[in-house]
Amino acid sequence: MPEEALENKMVIKDLSMYYTDFKAIEDVTFDVPARRITALIGPSGCGKSTLVRCLNRMNDLIEGVRVEGEVVLDSENVYQQGFDTIGLRRRVGMVFQRPNPFPKSIYENVAYGPKLVGIKDKEELDFIVEDSLKKAALWHEVKTILRESGQNLSGGQQQRLCIARVIAVQPEVILFDEPCSAIDPVATQLIEDLMAELKENFTMVIVTHNMQQAARVSDFTAFMLVQEQGQPGRLIEYGDTNTMFTNPSDERTERYITGRFG
Amino acid sequence: MKGSRADKAATVVFWALGLVTIALLAFIIIEILARGFLTAINPKFFLGKPEAIKAGGGIFPMIISSLYLAALTILISLPIAIGAAIYMAEYAKKGRLNNFIRFCLDSLATLPSIVFGLFGLALFVIYFRWSYCLLAGAFTLAILNLPILLRSTEEAIKLVPNTYREASMCLGASRWTTIRQVVIPTALPGIMTSTILPIGRIMGESAAIVYTTGLFIRNIPISPFDTAAPLAGYIWYAQSEALVPDYRQIVNGGAALLLIIVFAIYFLARWAGNRYQQTKLLGPKMK
Ligand SMILES: Nc1ncnc2c1ncn2[C@@H]1O[C@H](COP(=O)(O)OP(=O)(O)OP(=O)(O)O)[C@@H](O)[C@H]1O
Ligand SMILES: [Mg+2]
Repeated sequence: MPEEALENKMVIKDLSMYYTDFKAIEDVTFDVPARRITALIGPSGCGKSTLVRCLNRMNDLIEGVRVEGEVVLDSENVYQQGFDTIGLRRRVGMVFQRPNPFPKSIYENVAYGPKLVGIKDKEELDFIVEDSLKKAALWHEVKTILRESGQNLSGGQQQRLCIARVIAVQPEVILFDEPCSAIDPVATQLIEDLMAELKENFTMVIVTHNMQQAARVSDFTAFMLVQEQGQPGRLIEYGDTNTMFTNPSDERTERYITGRFG
Repeated sequence: MKGSRADKAATVVFWALGLVTIALLAFIIIEILARGFLTAINPKFFLGKPEAIKAGGGIFPMIISSLYLAALTILISLPIAIGAAIYMAEYAKKGRLNNFIRFCLDSLATLPSIVFGLFGLALFVIYFRWSYCLLAGAFTLAILNLPILLRSTEEAIKLVPNTYREASMCLGASRWTTIRQVVIPTALPGIMTSTILPIGRIMGESAAIVYTTGLFIRNIPISPFDTAAPLAGYIWYAQSEALVPDYRQIVNGGAALLLIIVFAIYFLARWAGNRYQQTKLLGPKMK
């Protein structure tokens, strides 16, 4: 990887989040470097999804959610009063665990985001659709069936369609919440390769249960853990992926990574 | 084994109950068609003008009344139902107000239709001075049908998976845009199906319309303010009040025709719903 000075695309500062009265995460602090992949690992229920959904304020949609601390995107706190959440979600896109294409055609799925910002010109839309599908490594499989429903594709293809749909709005950051847990190993490989390519232009955060995947795709890793039942999830260790997987500084990280954890 | 025997017994019982339901339905349909099908498909009957005293009258104006009334009712109630259902399903916070609205709607749904008829008579026919007309009937039926229409529309909207909403919001759509672009189009076939039940009820309703729309006409109603005579009300009228000697035939033929029309509308709506799903949702072709 070419050595360039790392700038931080996002900075998470003392972030805590409550579902009504239940504190799901507490005092999480770490950086998301630009044009790198940051992995978020930890046992089920430690608040990984909760955390990534704070990054584009998708948690706002759940009743009773409260956030403390800061999420800084390019030196602006996204939780500050009056911050434009719609604009935020265009800048910070998201790919979900289960592929969730709309019940529309492949074309309409990808064109959905651009149409939202008022792009109506057919040529321009055609271009964006083709370009996004190419970047998501799906174009050659679907170029003849663009009018068919996106839901007729295989799970892996659907997931790449969802990635294309996000790319089409040209976000700066893409969040992946366990993007491969519902698809087979071959499709997983494709998506990992794709992420490596997208690194040139996008900053990415990936939540994963799969240690090998985290080790393979990410540059930085954050490890989260719930110490005891009912307590909030906390960040245990954050650092360079290589260091973390070969020489973790916290014993709990080591136990988790080597699979000796509940 | 005790468990598996209970299981078998339950299977048999439920299967039998299902069969009884189907048999009952089949019996009613066959009975109605057997009595009236031949009359119903006679063009002189379904295209003819009704007679006041002589035998041999038709029921064409009544068919038009029924269809006109159903269309008007849906036109009035569907936008209200969709709007309210969007509110209930997408915006309303769970709580007291929501429960209260639901309670009111459920109460409204249990009222006998004659109550709505008298209400419509008092408000639209007398107070608004519309006299007996299609519009008075349509408003009355719209109120009558609002609870079920709202409930089924709401169910159709709730069936849209949350993951679609999330995906849309994540692409930078506002809540309202998400509802317009994703939720409603996805729910539309379901919403269309959910209007079927009310249409069947509108076509079959007599108590709510005899006091609001009218019972007997000879000419086709044109304006919404014209007096009309929907089929179901006319059947009741012919059976109990009419002077024509062939009233039995009119009643049987009318009932069969009503059944046929409701079935036809049902299948048409199903077909339109499927077609919409296949064409509209998939969008334009790319070169
Ligand atoms: N909508 C919600 N309302 C209340 N509590 C929630 C909600 N979503 C998650 N939680 C709770 O917050 C905690 C963290 O959940 P979260 O889904 O973020 O964990 P996770 O690390 O993503 O787990 P997994 O690996 O299983 O996806 C859990 O205890 C969970 O029960
Ligand atoms: Mg999760």
